[in-house]
Amino acid sequence: MTKSVSTLVFRITLGVLLLVLVVALFRLQVVKGAYYQRIAESNFVRIRRIIATRGEIYDSKYRPIAANIPSQNLYLTSGKIASTERLAAFLLRHFGISAEELKELVFQQRFKSYEEILLAVNVPYETVLSLSERLDRFPELAFRVETTRSYMYPNHFTGYLGRIDQKEYQLYRDEDYSLNGYIGKTGLERYYEVLLRGKDGKEIVQVDAQGRSLEFFREDTSIEPLNGLSLVLSIDNDLQNYADGIFPEGLKGCIVVSDVKTGGILAYVSKPDYDPNVFLQRISPEQWAELNSSSRPLLDRIIHATYPPGSVYKPVTGAEGLEAGLIDRHTRLASCRGGLKIGNRFFRCWSSSGHGSLDIVNAFKVSCDVFFYDLINKANLDNFYRMAVACGVVNKTGIDLPNERNGFYPDSRYYQKKLGRTAGLAGYKANLAIGQGEVLTTPLQINAFFAAIARNGLWVQPHLLVKTMGRSKLAREEVVPIAKHKLPWKPSTLQIIQDGLWAVCNAPGGTARVVSVAGAQSYGKTGSAENFMGKRTHAWFSGYIVKDNPEIVVTVFLENAGGGGAMAAPIANRIFNYYIGNYARIKQPAVIPPQFQTPGDLDTGDAAATESAEPVPDPAETTPAGTEP
Amino acid sequence: MINRKKFDFVLAAYLLALIIFGCVAIYTASCTTIGEYTTVASNWWKQIIFAVIAIGCTIVLIRLPMPIFDILILPLSILNILALIAVLFTQAIHGSHRWFSLMGIHYQPSESAKLLTIIMTARVISKEHLSELRQIFYGLGMIALPVALIVIEPDLGSTLVFGVSLLAMLVAADVPLFYLLLMVSPIVSIVSSVWWPAIIIWILILVFLLYRSGLSWVPITIASISNIFIALFMPVFWNGLKDYQQNRILTFVDPLRDPLGAGYQIIQAKIAVGSGSILGKGWLQGTQKNMNFLPVHHTDFIFSVIGEEFGFVGSMLLLLLFTLFFLRLIRAVGEIKVPERRIASAGILAYLMFQTFINIGMNIGLVPATGIPLPFISYGGSNLLINTLSVGVVLKYLNERGFMK
Repeated sequence: MTKSVSTLVFRITLGVLLLVLVVALFRLQVVKGAYYQRIAESNFVRIRRIIATRGEIYDSKYRPIAANIPSQNLYLTSGKIASTERLAAFLLRHFGISAEELKELVFQQRFKSYEEILLAVNVPYETVLSLSERLDRFPELAFRVETTRSYMYPNHFTGYLGRIDQKEYQLYRDEDYSLNGYIGKTGLERYYEVLLRGKDGKEIVQVDAQGRSLEFFREDTSIEPLNGLSLVLSIDNDLQNYADGIFPEGLKGCIVVSDVKTGGILAYVSKPDYDPNVFLQRISPEQWAELNSSSRPLLDRIIHATYPPGSVYKPVTGAEGLEAGLIDRHTRLASCRGGLKIGNRFFRCWSSSGHGSLDIVNAFKVSCDVFFYDLINKANLDNFYRMAVACGVVNKTGIDLPNERNGFYPDSRYYQKKLGRTAGLAGYKANLAIGQGEVLTTPLQINAFFAAIARNGLWVQPHLLVKTMGRSKLAREEVVPIAKHKLPWKPSTLQIIQDGLWAVCNAPGGTARVVSVAGAQSYGKTGSAENFMGKRTHAWFSGYIVKDNPEIVVTVFLENAGGGGAMAAPIANRIFNYYIGNYARIKQPAVIPPQFQTPGDLDTGDAAATESAEPVPDPAETTPAGTEP
Repeated sequence: MINRKKFDFVLAAYLLALIIFGCVAIYTASCTTIGEYTTVASNWWKQIIFAVIAIGCTIVLIRLPMPIFDILILPLSILNILALIAVLFTQAIHGSHRWFSLMGIHYQPSESAKLLTIIMTARVISKEHLSELRQIFYGLGMIALPVALIVIEPDLGSTLVFGVSLLAMLVAADVPLFYLLLMVSPIVSIVSSVWWPAIIIWILILVFLLYRSGLSWVPITIASISNIFIALFMPVFWNGLKDYQQNRILTFVDPLRDPLGAGYQIIQAKIAVGSGSILGKGWLQGTQKNMNFLPVHHTDFIFSVIGEEFGFVGSMLLLLLFTLFFLRLIRAVGEIKVPERRIASAGILAYLMFQTFINIGMNIGLVPATGIPLPFISYGGSNLLINTLSVGVVLKYLNERGFMK
């Protein structure tokens, strides 16, 4: 071969390839140019997200608490905007969206300008009708019927959904969130976001203006969305409603009712409250001011705030005395003459007339402070600290809600830091003994502690989720295990504490004699905690009732409402009586609604739901986004 | 050390024109117009910086004394192989281990591997007194290691470049064409096995071509029988594959099977190019581009933006520029007399030509999307640098004409 052969080969190759490209480009751009122009003009071909239906939230009887309802949503395709100014004026007039907001939204999505941007949800039908004609002048705008969230009643546990913000989007974009997406911001919506959300699907849209398929793609490879799981809670809507209704008008505080058998929360009322639905609309400045007013309706007083527990704390102090052998059932301590002199300070009992010398059961009954002043100073502070931790009133309970707060109980290290000494703390300790001073607890911690007493010493993590429904049926234990531990109490200690709590409600002179439930034994403890928030004490009551078995624990907490026996105990009493009065109805197992039934459920009822559950998923996968390590 | 008489200013001018065309295309590809507002991503001025660096490096390369250049190639190749190994241990980006990322600069060792492997291979197969068979086997041996490492990354598109370059180098090394025909024949057999009449036609063509090349009947028979065997064995092999493996191969050959993935990109690129029609939509006016249907239209799909905004006329202009450039390169291959340099130049020619035609073909839906950028036009620093340097190597060889032999 000569040199020219290789050159010839290269030239021929170049020529052939060139010819192919020129012919192909001619066909594409010149022959079919008009056809593709038409497709390009109307953006017929694009990938569309099929939004997964978010799981709903039900009470224990499958009655909705958070449901999906149809909603007219307004979308913007920024790539089609002709005049930003005209659009901004239109949006400002009819939807209150300012030009800056519009610019920001468009800017965020500038590299995906064919994707629709959600501008407004829940547009009233009248608005849709009245605007439909003018919408022709704005090809970039479109209404779509989708769903939005609806919360059945104001509450603090469901939390609410909100538009995903820039920070969350950066964090979760790999999980295929869209900028239009909603994400659980607080409460269960946030804690169980991973379960509720599901996974969006995708489809390719390829139709022409007449709706005919363009037939670029032969196969339908759309990815179906995986709908989110629905949550079934331990909440009983009737009881929740009742507790909500009897909460004294104008007061702040909370009511927690939980089931002794399971540890599930039956009613969860914190007041003042807010309507989660407002967060799905544009919030008006007035609404915003109200939500942030000094009464703090957004604050979940059950877990997001800590308070001095006052006398409801006394069982912890008493239990340590019994466990350490400092006292027994019959030991009488210092005589109460309206107070006790410790060092050179006189610590008053709540009753200025005095209680005399009492044993522990009677000290509970009349809530004598002097008994506990005396008791705590018979032993080292750290023993009482350890008992407080063991009773679950220091560390957060781990309920399935985000941002729960820890309680507080000081130990000697704390005083070493604060005062530089660990001796001569008698005065501080006296306050701690009766749940004052530095002690702080959340109402939920108190509720869980009393539930443990009712449960004969087994502390069970309070929780809301019972099981999931829908695509897969998981029992709560399969989602996040429920923590349990025994209180470090001897059977005799438990018995004495229970007797004390019984005496409070039943024995003559008990501080909670108002609690009287026909057909059940009631147990409880009142508390009136002094505090810095106001002159009047916080009113506390926490107690439980035993029918054939221990049934429910009620904790009532009222900020600066006065005495526990006078203010809080009557509310608990009404809830106890409501519960016993409607016992058969509350206990009746609910029928699984048809949309959640699987063949197994029909024969065996509720119990099969957990058996037919799918295999336990990887725990790392199911750990909700909102949990803390 | 630039010799004014020998320096190929025309080739250099074409190169510069292509780079400038690229910067202009990237500017419009980086613009998004929404309503009256246009936002420009930072890519275009980055590309200008890359271009300046690339041209600077090329000037240094041309001025480098030839002996130093020759000495440097071997250690650089070894370093490059080590880099190819090291890159496998980096964190995967989009599912493959191709990039080293340092302070926002991404470097693909497979890019430099292309140029260095071409020069090294040329050096080996241009050794005197090598039989043609040895040339083929040595050549295959030279590209085996980098190809294997790049397959692992995985980056199948890049590996094809090596095969095509080797073929061109063997052509330039005056290996008889029937050897190359034999080399390529198994691939054609595999492709033809999808339709049995195609096997018969292909084997007849093969026999005819081999006969015309003056081969005796014994090797022709052996070649035909082994090719028939490969073609017949393919269905067995195919059925042995798992469903998802079959799917992956089918999707590679026919992206339209995957409308949510590769198929979507190809269709959007096709719509963009097609809707450009004869004269295009005009500077910065591409609607497909502005809607961002293609997420990264400044890299592999830059041609779709050119086709959309400049139309058939613009596409033809770019093709014309490329054609003039490649014709000049082919001329250079013919003019360089030192075998090693001629063979290397042929490899570089094939490497650039293959990428150009595969990329444009991909943008108009003729070939599968393989992730091969358009030389000199697509956005990307290391790609532009290597492409420019490889032309620099040819310029250097031209510049050194007549010093030896």
